[in-house]
Amino acid sequence: MSESLPALIALVGNPNVGKTTLFNALTGSSQKVGNYAGVTVAVKSGETYTPHGNKVRVLDLPGCYSLNANSLDEQVAVDALNGQLKGESVPDLVVCVVDSSSLERQLPLTLQVLELGLPCVMALNMVDVAEKSGLRLDPVKLSEELGIPVIPMQANAGKGLVQLKQTFRAPLPPVRESSWLHHHEDSDKARRAFIDQICEVAARRPDAHQLTVSDRIDTYLLHPVYGWLAFAGILFTVFWAIFSFAKIPMGWIEAGQGAFGNWVSTLIPAGDLQSLIVDGIIGGVGGVIVFLPQIVLLFLFIGLLESSGYMARAAFLMDSIMAKAGLSGKAFLPLFSSYACAIPGVMATRTIDSPKERLVTIFVAPWMSCSARLPVYFLIVPMLLSEKEGSWKQALILFGIYILGTASAFVIARLLRGRLGPDDKPNHFLLELPPYRKPQWSYIFRHVADRAWAFVGKAGTIILGLSILLWALSTYPKSDSESPTEQLEHSAMGRIGFVIEPVVKPLGFDGRVGTSILTSFAAREVFNTSMAIIFNVEETDDEVETRIHIREKIAQAKWPDGRPLFTPLSLVSLLVFYIYAMQCLPTSAVVARESGSWKWAIGQFLFMSGFAYVASLIVFQVGRMLGFS
Amino acid sequence: MSHAVVTAPKPESRLTLNQARVGSDVQIRIVDGPACQRLRDLGFCENLQVRKLSGGRNLICSICGTRLAISRELAEQVLVAPVA
Repeated sequence: MSESLPALIALVGNPNVGKTTLFNALTGSSQKVGNYAGVTVAVKSGETYTPHGNKVRVLDLPGCYSLNANSLDEQVAVDALNGQLKGESVPDLVVCVVDSSSLERQLPLTLQVLELGLPCVMALNMVDVAEKSGLRLDPVKLSEELGIPVIPMQANAGKGLVQLKQTFRAPLPPVRESSWLHHHEDSDKARRAFIDQICEVAARRPDAHQLTVSDRIDTYLLHPVYGWLAFAGILFTVFWAIFSFAKIPMGWIEAGQGAFGNWVSTLIPAGDLQSLIVDGIIGGVGGVIVFLPQIVLLFLFIGLLESSGYMARAAFLMDSIMAKAGLSGKAFLPLFSSYACAIPGVMATRTIDSPKERLVTIFVAPWMSCSARLPVYFLIVPMLLSEKEGSWKQALILFGIYILGTASAFVIARLLRGRLGPDDKPNHFLLELPPYRKPQWSYIFRHVADRAWAFVGKAGTIILGLSILLWALSTYPKSDSESPTEQLEHSAMGRIGFVIEPVVKPLGFDGRVGTSILTSFAAREVFNTSMAIIFNVEETDDEVETRIHIREKIAQAKWPDGRPLFTPLSLVSLLVFYIYAMQCLPTSAVVARESGSWKWAIGQFLFMSGFAYVASLIVFQVGRMLGFS
Repeated sequence: MSHAVVTAPKPESRLTLNQARVGSDVQIRIVDGPACQRLRDLGFCENLQVRKLSGGRNLICSICGTRLAISRELAEQVLVAPVA
């Protein structure tokens, strides 16, 4: 019996039993919660206080079905329990979180944890759901049989928290001998027999199988015909909201930004400082901030789909399509998340059991058009049709862009998967379909707010810095000429463009566009900022440019010989480049970490950038040969 | 040779989970095959009752109040007997 106070507590349990919900309730933090197996892919740590006011650290481990470590996130959980996790010791107390509605299935893991010889407490979560399904639980009997404290709770409603915290103190529950192992040779059979014995007295299930509400919903949502219709409808709604509905708040931001720019220019006398603030900073950062509503909406929908439990159904439906790309339905969530941002997408690949499938998914994830590409698409697509933003034709083109990126990703995945060969150990598709639940709005909103704040933070740091740098490069060294065009040619930016021009000319771009592309290699959305700053030199009045302004400006841009710089063909070429190019430093860093080597990250970067260049080249050159301009 | 009187219960018909009818309740008899460890971890253990909810490329079954989608290869390794 341990006399010392527990300092480190680990939460262990099957996937999707509410470990993270419990963790958030204990620590008051707002880790992302989804109704989907494998939302927690890394160990999270937080602090809580015992009823006596002692501080303890809590680890939220990724879900696992057993301690046999079948996939990477299970391995992480096993390491944490053995104290092999970097910087962590062996936990003083393990809280086995179980979903009481499927207690029989989850007890093997609890027994395995008990066999490790660590002090244990069982958090019998979601007792409300279990009771509704007709399961008769007896926590007292369960506790007697297992020899550990059993706390019935409803973590999402905060019920049972105090009782659980009561166990976080000395003396810790005694470690009991694994008596069930004595009678059998085969430890699996031994556990099974013991569990049968426990369930006989402590968890009685009604004999008749009852069709739950979730089962009934699933008969439609997983139906071979209606299921696909619903799936298409949901995806369409998500995209429609992002591309149409988001226009309204985007208009407010643009108007506010214009007014702010005007107001600032009345305060500061015309000159370099006014130019820096109004053109460089407000124009540059504003050109990116305007996409905030779309990013918020995309994360909101993904959060909603995960939280309600639909994401697992989508993975189930998509399994047959993913199989054509040599992937499984489990690759759907990572790839779909990558439409928002490749970083959480790459992180979510940890739930994929097959290591090779996981590498392939990581490799192609950045081709799922992420939200950072949207600013660029929104700038270019309306120009292509020479009309205002928001028509259905543009929506169609955008849809095509997404399809092109996705289809290319699938083709490459298939080729790469073939080259990597089969896994050493066969992996089969298996997925838990959680019951449908009401979305946990508070967590979704907090998560969306986090992502939005991260985006604004990026605009306030990287993009602000680059905006100032770009403004300086295009302003200095100063020429004596009054003509903005000559000034640009004289500036550092103009000189860089001159050097780049031969490289990008075969793609249909001049040095100015080339410079903008070059500056967007750290983060793609900087392209808009660069274009605004580079082409704004011709701007003389103090009006703040919105994208409409940038478009007006660049539509007038010409080659030195007077031909228009942007033709439909060069715009398509530019779009193709942005669909394929890997221009995101943070993603490369995450890929290197997740794949375990920089080789993959660098290979991916070189491959995607090279592919983008070649694809653009083909589009432009073949297009010209066919007589397009 | 006269027919022996059948006294023992009829040998039960064993199916793989793939062969079980959609919508029927079955009891798991034997879990055997290369992935049986994984199946056991998930709760596919002898004597547990399962309802097969749908078939196809991957099948869905309900086991102890949880719905699981598993591939046909996995389902092939689960032998079941119908429950009356």
